[in-house]
Amino acid sequence: MSVLGWRALLVFALLAALPLVPGMSRYYLLLAFDALLFGAIAMSLDLLMGYTGLVSFGHAAFYGLGAYATAILMERGVQSVWACVGFAVVVVGLYALVVSYFATARRGIYFALLTLIFAEVVYTFFRYTQTFGGSDGIQGLPDATVLPGLVIDTPTRKYYLVLAYLLIAYAICRVVVASHFGRVLVAIRENEDRARFLGYNVPRYKMGACMISALLTGVGGAIYPMRSAFATPDLMLWTESGEFIISVMIGGLGTLVGPIIGGAFFTILRDKVSSIVDWYFIVIGGVLIVIVLFMPRGLLGLRRIFSRRAAA
Amino acid sequence: MILEVDAVSKRFGALTALNRVGFAVDEGQIFSVIGPNGAGKSTLFNVVSGLFAPDAGRVRFRGVDITGLPPERVNRLGLAKTFQITNIFPEISVLDNVRVAAQSRTPESGRLASLWRRPDVDGVACALLETFGLGARRDAHARDLSHGEQRYLEICVALATDPRLLLLDEPTAGMTPGETRDATALVRKVVLERGLTLLLIEHDMSVVMGISDRVAVLHFGEKIAEGTPEAIRSDPRVIEAYLGGGDD
Repeated sequence: MSVLGWRALLVFALLAALPLVPGMSRYYLLLAFDALLFGAIAMSLDLLMGYTGLVSFGHAAFYGLGAYATAILMERGVQSVWACVGFAVVVVGLYALVVSYFATARRGIYFALLTLIFAEVVYTFFRYTQTFGGSDGIQGLPDATVLPGLVIDTPTRKYYLVLAYLLIAYAICRVVVASHFGRVLVAIRENEDRARFLGYNVPRYKMGACMISALLTGVGGAIYPMRSAFATPDLMLWTESGEFIISVMIGGLGTLVGPIIGGAFFTILRDKVSSIVDWYFIVIGGVLIVIVLFMPRGLLGLRRIFSRRAAA
Repeated sequence: MILEVDAVSKRFGALTALNRVGFAVDEGQIFSVIGPNGAGKSTLFNVVSGLFAPDAGRVRFRGVDITGLPPERVNRLGLAKTFQITNIFPEISVLDNVRVAAQSRTPESGRLASLWRRPDVDGVACALLETFGLGARRDAHARDLSHGEQRYLEICVALATDPRLLLLDEPTAGMTPGETRDATALVRKVVLERGLTLLLIEHDMSVVMGISDRVAVLHFGEKIAEGTPEAIRSDPRVIEAYLGGGDD
């Protein structure tokens, strides 16, 4: 547990107590589910964006493939969380292996474009393949089971499922960024040519970062149908990838915690504004422009401002 | 013989940057390559260190043919290089710059365990920084160092990969004459202490003459002379091409 530190453990303990808050409704628990899931995926993307300096425009494909992996198994009567997550790891892992192999052979904008193109191919395949429900996707899925008799059927249980995923994903990210490997990723972000002259096979490290990020995102995707009971091709749309990127930006690049907050903030903002007005993207866009212009370090950067004021 | 460069040629379009350049460096030697700007010195280093594959000729390092091998492979064989234009990791600390270099020689490197283990290389890294007088600056961002400090950090990063052969590309570029004298003395001391072989590029003659065992002179991509510093100093072709060239 030394990996996480007492502050992180305290935050997780508070999050775990959320369902106990008096008057906590089904609606808010499911919104909390969405917020934490989005946050966890933004955090996974941060391994690439913030630490390695690679912007992926194709994370929606990892997310959507994970969701379809669960949906396809559940449609065939497999309800085990473990089987679904395991299947998602295999499917997303194989796809990510191909994408990361080709994408990391190129630099900068080409990496972003290749991830986008691969993701669009996957989106188009699921959108137009009737075996997987075409544009409707796979609907009406049953509840998942953790153990025989332990069914994820209430909002509270669903919430704890995503919280467990976030905890594990966060611990993995923390360990990785603090490791030998994590140091090399930062060196690649800073100066990939020099990293080569220190004996590091840069494309292989980039591939490793891509794989970890993709697998964490895929597992997040695998959990989503356990809350929503469906998987649709829209989960793989490029706008979804864009929202992951925005979440990382508004939270704060290269901080892990920032993107979790960014993802949660984005999810809640979208939910709240869209319940008031139809043209909610204009409002959200305005908020995001303000954040990017005036808080270049993201929401987590506020911490610095406040601590400086306290010191003054 | 630790390094053998055999009739290496490299062209960029119509420009012949290197034309059948050859020389050999013995273990423990300080070997300098001099020449006016544009003589092909940096291209030569880039060919030796693996950034460019030569169009013709071979490069052998410790008996292994390294012609055309990529920089990461060449580095792992024990050859490290610094750059003429400072090439470090700007937004991380000085200590982290050296750590990431030093850890590339730990057993975890390239293994799956590198994903969760963090090798302790602080001893090696701090000792190197102390040697180059950067101990007190270890927590500063590399970009915040002065020019001279960055030149030293550049050398620390290369040395941290524990090379047998060190290639320094104008290590004193941009230094004042006083700094240049100190830096040259320090480099020489470290190289002798560690039993390294040094291949040095310079266009400042005074730096080279004091410390080199052997000097080669490049001019328009060709080697026009090679010998002891004394012989080079009095070689009429060198005086004509280099000293009389008015390049500096």
